[in-house]
Amino acid sequence: MFRVVEGEINVAAMISSAQRPDSGAISTFIGTTRVDESDGASVEYLEYEAYRPMADEKLAEVGAEIRGKWDVRHVAITHRLGKVAPGEASVAIVVASPRRGPAFEASRYAIERIKEIVPIWKREVWSDGYVWVGSQIGTRGAK
Amino acid sequence: MSGGKNVKVLLFGAAADLAGKREIGVSVAADSSLDELWEAVVVEYPRLSPMRQTLAFAVNGEYAEKGAKVSPGDEVAFLPPVSGG
Repeated sequence: MFRVVEGEINVAAMISSAQRPDSGAISTFIGTTRVDESDGASVEYLEYEAYRPMADEKLAEVGAEIRGKWDVRHVAITHRLGKVAPGEASVAIVVASPRRGPAFEASRYAIERIKEIVPIWKREVWSDGYVWVGSQIGTRGAK
Repeated sequence: MSGGKNVKVLLFGAAADLAGKREIGVSVAADSSLDELWEAVVVEYPRLSPMRQTLAFAVNGEYAEKGAKVSPGDEVAFLPPVSGG
């Protein structure tokens, strides 16, 4: 249920796996590639890399934290690596809970924690260079 | 101790970029600290130096503080600020 994958994320399959009779709410968060624009350039794609298996373990840790905080009956997180084109999903989080409140809160918590503790890095590849997000190091602006 | 490279250091993201390598072999003594290992690496890869304040470290797949011990055979990772999602 906690996976780091190289190819497209099958969000539909993740959601259908979360459907269960004890839960009245499924919350789904999908992070997608946004095309930012600045200085006459634009983002062409994002590229992700991970430290494995630590990244897999930390995703599972996020899941365990969620189960400790809310009454959730199903938690699945998938993060994609490699190139992710505009509009495509880089991360999907699916949480099922008896009620909507915990489902919403837990999925929000999951994406924030992923951005804090999971060793995955995003490189924005622009039409005029690239930037490692978080480090702000790259070839853009080095002109 | 043979004096050969006995710790594998993995670099990711911007750190790999700056060092021009994704993996470095380092030789450490039995009771070295992560800080000492870092100093040894920076001598060889000075472009990493500005990352000192932002890098996190892992020893054998778990986050570790700068004072943590590093032993021959360990796997160390230099982790720039994570940016998944």
